[in-house]
Amino acid sequence: MKHLKHPFTQAVLLIVGSWAFFKFVIPLFPGSAPVPQSVVLQFTLIAAVGVLVYVSENEERWTQFKAPITATLVDANKKWLRGGLLTVIPLFIGFVVFQAARPTVGSTAQLRSIHPAPPGQITFQGRSLALEGLENPLRSRGSLEEHYETGKAIYYQNCMPCHGDLLDGQGHFGHGFNPTPLAFDRAGTIDNLQESFVFWRIAKGGPGLPREGTPWNSAMPVWEDFLTEDEIWAVTMFLYEQSGLEPRTWGEEGEEHD
Amino acid sequence: MTNHGRLQVAACRLSAASTILLAFVAGLPGVLRAQDLENGKALYDKWCAGCHGMTGQGDGPAADYMLPRPRDFTFAIYQIRTTSNGELPTDDDLRYIVDNGMPGSTMPGWKDKLGPGDRDDVVAYIKSFSRFFEDGQPEPVAVARAPRVTDEGLAEGRRLFEEEVECIKCHGAEGRGDGGSAPELTDDDGFPIRAANLTENWTFNGGGSVEDILMRIRVGVDGTPMPSNGDAIDAGIITEEQLWRVAQYVRSLSPDAPPRRQDVVRAAFVEGDLPNGPEDPAWNDVEALYIPMVGQILEAPRWFAPAVDGLWVRALHNGEGMALQFSWDDASASPDEAWDPFFDGVVTSMVAPDAPHLEAQGPDHLAVQFPLTPPEGTVLPYFLAGDARNPVYQIRWRSNPDMAEEGTATGLGTFASGTGSDLTHGAAFANGRWQVQFTRSLTASDPGVAASFTPGESMPMAFYVADGTNAEDDVRGAVSAWYAVYLDVPLPPRVFIAPVVATLLTAGLGLVVVIQAQRRST
Repeated sequence: MKHLKHPFTQAVLLIVGSWAFFKFVIPLFPGSAPVPQSVVLQFTLIAAVGVLVYVSENEERWTQFKAPITATLVDANKKWLRGGLLTVIPLFIGFVVFQAARPTVGSTAQLRSIHPAPPGQITFQGRSLALEGLENPLRSRGSLEEHYETGKAIYYQNCMPCHGDLLDGQGHFGHGFNPTPLAFDRAGTIDNLQESFVFWRIAKGGPGLPREGTPWNSAMPVWEDFLTEDEIWAVTMFLYEQSGLEPRTWGEEGEEHD
Repeated sequence: MTNHGRLQVAACRLSAASTILLAFVAGLPGVLRAQDLENGKALYDKWCAGCHGMTGQGDGPAADYMLPRPRDFTFAIYQIRTTSNGELPTDDDLRYIVDNGMPGSTMPGWKDKLGPGDRDDVVAYIKSFSRFFEDGQPEPVAVARAPRVTDEGLAEGRRLFEEEVECIKCHGAEGRGDGGSAPELTDDDGFPIRAANLTENWTFNGGGSVEDILMRIRVGVDGTPMPSNGDAIDAGIITEEQLWRVAQYVRSLSPDAPPRRQDVVRAAFVEGDLPNGPEDPAWNDVEALYIPMVGQILEAPRWFAPAVDGLWVRALHNGEGMALQFSWDDASASPDEAWDPFFDGVVTSMVAPDAPHLEAQGPDHLAVQFPLTPPEGTVLPYFLAGDARNPVYQIRWRSNPDMAEEGTATGLGTFASGTGSDLTHGAAFANGRWQVQFTRSLTASDPGVAASFTPGESMPMAFYVADGTNAEDDVRGAVSAWYAVYLDVPLPPRVFIAPVVATLLTAGLGLVVVIQAQRRST
């Protein structure tokens, strides 16, 4: 307990504690992500400066704080500790420099946007098709249940190996591709998109992605080579039905796709 | 009203009340059960019927694209059980598969998707497809605890594997599913079935732990040729401890953990000669990159049931030339007449969605590709054999006649052979495994045909593998995404000088601080 009251112990605990908070606690917040190393360092430095300002603000506290440091540097009976620190710290610095200087093997970072901007119109199987304002025609034609069953059969025969029975993007072939197949089972996926966008992505696949924003490296096939227009609309409908998500509609005034 | 009349009315009321009560008591379990089944059916229809079919016969829309096919629940024959050979599984057995899926097949696990109660309901509904389950549940087989793993125990396990238990007949000498009987194996429905590759325990249908393996050996895998050893134990021909030894030996054939996904393989720099063949012991010490391989289901003709699920890649260079070594499990060196039954089985049981099946076994294929010219920025050629704007350089090998060639491609099926380097190759097949080596100069003699490699740089690389006995060819087979090979350079001196300088500087600075402090204090 006596040690805990000492300004030096308190300062060290505060600095280590704030580092641990930035490094380990922040990633646990819902919707958070691991904090980059450089940011952790910056935050910890700021915390350290704050702690030093506090410690040095009061003369008595400052003297108390300095005491163990001076003792380590000066006292005859701390000879071994002093020697140890003088050996360990330089070696540690050397190790850090070696790690930084060593060439690392890594593939280049692959940055890409998830949802590219769709074109206003596409050529589908040789015909021109305007995407803007386009609704899923099957929603106003025939039996929804039949369309769902059609879409289901198409999904299981064509899409399931990659996108999975669970719509989680982890079908039995999903792990073979990079980027991995898209999941449809959670908010923030197809519920951000109009059905015409989904139609476009299915019809044109990876090779039909716009040149902007490359590399896509998507393994999505060009489904207009395999499926008819109605079949693509049916499987689009199936995706929304099965996932329980609602497509975005054209009426909504929304922000741009990101 | 007379007394007699009153009595009658009272009796009537009593009997009516008791009838209702009786009906309620008797009906209670029935009502609950109906709810379970109703929920189970709704979930089954939504999530399971795509493969297993609306009537549970394993004939959903996806079934014809799968090998092994989805389970037919109406026969109530289940592979993964803890009950004796020929018996029904317990509810826990069924729930285990619903929870975890069957690795190595197309069945996923559902524990992240459906709640525990929902999964129980699905199990209840699956059981309702067969009347056999109405007779109650069998008891799981009691199994003694495993003996400790020892070297002698593993050697005993190996002996039993080869002799008494005869696992070797189907699973092969090194466990890669290439035993003498393997080509003719079929399941109870007549579909071709592979003997499990025992060197990949992460693909074992019922789980890859020693306990899982023991149970499969102990009670068999019903519906498949994998027999039970229950009778042998009862007859005193073999002991349970000996089965544990077999299970421990089988587990030892796989690595401790499944291979981790990595993106880059390092081609270490060696002084002097490169290995002179795929079996050169020099390869044993070289780091290997594991590449998961999946079906080419992107362009016609698609292939939904590839035989090869992974490829190991090693690389070395000596500043002048480079060598790549590939190793993958394949039960047969195709074409192989002995495997005709298996080939025929694949062709008759799998739907060919985009093009007719092949008429006869072809050779096995391997291809590795690189961008023909170093990629500009981060744009790579299309991973499936390149595209018109970005051609790829390919090295292709086939097993029969054994040959390797190089050339360029601008899309699947567009390979143009040529000579752009001094490419040589070697290939060896043994115990269900191919090993192939390509060797060539780092610099291409014709940059229009072959890519050049530069030490100190990463080169993107992608793969293709096909198994002729599985009705595969140079477009129906297994593909990979882009990976990369990095050609090591000897470490430059600054890598060693900088840390030494930094250490000395820090130590000097520390000394100065100490001396200053001591001077001030005296």
